[in-house]
Amino acid sequence: MKRALTALNVLMIVYILAPIVLVVWMSFTPTMLFRIPITQFSLRWYYEVFSYSAYVDAALLSLRLGLLAALVAVAVGFCAAYGLVRWKPPGSAVLMGLFTAPLVVPAVVFGIAMLQFINRIGLYGSFTALLLAHVVLVMPFAVRTLQASIQEHGPELEWAAMSLGARRWRAVMLVTVPLCLRGMIAAFLFCFLISFSEITVTLFMTGPAHQTLPVRIFNYVSDRIDPTMAAVSSMVVLLTVVIALALNRLGALSELKK
Amino acid sequence: MTAAALAGPGFPRASLAARLGGAGWLFLAPAVVLMVAAYLAPLFDSIVISFHPNTPQGIDRAHWILGNYARLFDDYYATVLLRTLRVSVIITLLSVLLAYPVALWLAELSPRGQTWAILVYMSPWLVNTVVKSFGWTLILGNSGVINTGLRAAGLIDAPLRLMFNELGIVIGLLPGHFLFVLLPLWAALKGIDDNLRWAAMTLGARPGTVFLRITLPLTLPALIAGAIINFTMNMAAFAAPALLGGTRARVLSFVAYQVNLEELNWPFGGALAVAMLTVTLGCIALAQWVGGRLR
Repeated sequence: MKRALTALNVLMIVYILAPIVLVVWMSFTPTMLFRIPITQFSLRWYYEVFSYSAYVDAALLSLRLGLLAALVAVAVGFCAAYGLVRWKPPGSAVLMGLFTAPLVVPAVVFGIAMLQFINRIGLYGSFTALLLAHVVLVMPFAVRTLQASIQEHGPELEWAAMSLGARRWRAVMLVTVPLCLRGMIAAFLFCFLISFSEITVTLFMTGPAHQTLPVRIFNYVSDRIDPTMAAVSSMVVLLTVVIALALNRLGALSELKK
Repeated sequence: MTAAALAGPGFPRASLAARLGGAGWLFLAPAVVLMVAAYLAPLFDSIVISFHPNTPQGIDRAHWILGNYARLFDDYYATVLLRTLRVSVIITLLSVLLAYPVALWLAELSPRGQTWAILVYMSPWLVNTVVKSFGWTLILGNSGVINTGLRAAGLIDAPLRLMFNELGIVIGLLPGHFLFVLLPLWAALKGIDDNLRWAAMTLGARPGTVFLRITLPLTLPALIAGAIINFTMNMAAFAAPALLGGTRARVLSFVAYQVNLEELNWPFGGALAVAMLTVTLGCIALAQWVGGRLR
């Protein structure tokens, strides 16, 4: 019985990891075609990637977007989480529902709404509109991670700071923010990863001017397949693995398990 | 301020709130303004647009109609909706079937082993959908790993159709959404008091009976809640079905993309969005109702 369970799980793990492992493996092929098994390894396609401005520009846009969206979401999300935890306003549940709604409402629905809305207010094709959409999309991860982090530390140290004459804002900046640093790093990484991987809403609302890396890969996969894509994808996988391990270390993924 | 601050953790909540006072709203205001302006406003506007007619000159905001919703029942859209439902239900059923053996196996591992195994099961959700779908095209395509292997072994003459159909969508979507059935089930499984199982076994129950009479009933609410979340995610998935379903197996979200970005018929696109939103919120409400009833 136990052996059967183990066998099934091994098969399952092979199944879920197969596409990811294969992409990375294929990126080292020296030839133009994907042929299995690969007997020679080459870094040729990694060099090629950096000479394709289409990939480099898309990667830079995705990085900029992800970093900015994570920064804004952590700043705004920290304030919101702080207000929810310390103040416990009437209707906390409704506010939490508002902040985490992007987890529930399908991305396609928000993508359609955003496409129509930014056209109406004349922001079509602007970076600002894209950034706003990404901040909204990562907000649930920021607020939830930071809420857990603020809850870990009671208000006593802030009270101590305030009893010594610090105002509320100064007490938060000097006491709570340093205490929650781990949570803030986790929230930042989480938000960055979600934004960096986002495709649906971005594809619905981007003009040709702003093609993020996932959108560019999406357009290429539907078109043609060449090994540079495997190299780009492998770099995305590497970045994801690094961030996921860091998040695991920071305990941010256990939030999801609840 | 000083006196209040010295009152300590036993301080009543009302006074605590009073001390944050008006400042409480200042902390919440930026996030609320952002979510209302960049989230609720676009969603609301999309709902409004779905009740207006589309004209060659643009959206006619002077007139109100229900025609966009009537069009949802056209043969083509009904077929697409049925296909989306079918694919989503199949993925959810497979996930439910696989979740028990995986969760039971996880429970047997050491705490360290559990952390790593869960990270592995979580990885398809963390890794970019587009990258995964690209990987699946390398495996399932006509000259992909499976077809090449089978042909080399002399087992087939013509390549098997493994993608650009509903099968491809099921294979590609299952791992990424499996987590949402697995994690709640695993949490529920860990919450079961071991004594219950021991008691049943001392009374002569076999492992199968223990599973059916104790484990299954106690984990059912979590399983159903997870399955419904999984189903809504399958219904809404966009990139993977678009790449693996191809033109032969279009799902609802891809048709919504075509209507909004190729036909540029936003009122009808809005109606599609409202339909998807209604189905999702209905399912979530159902999940909560079921969860509350069975608990």
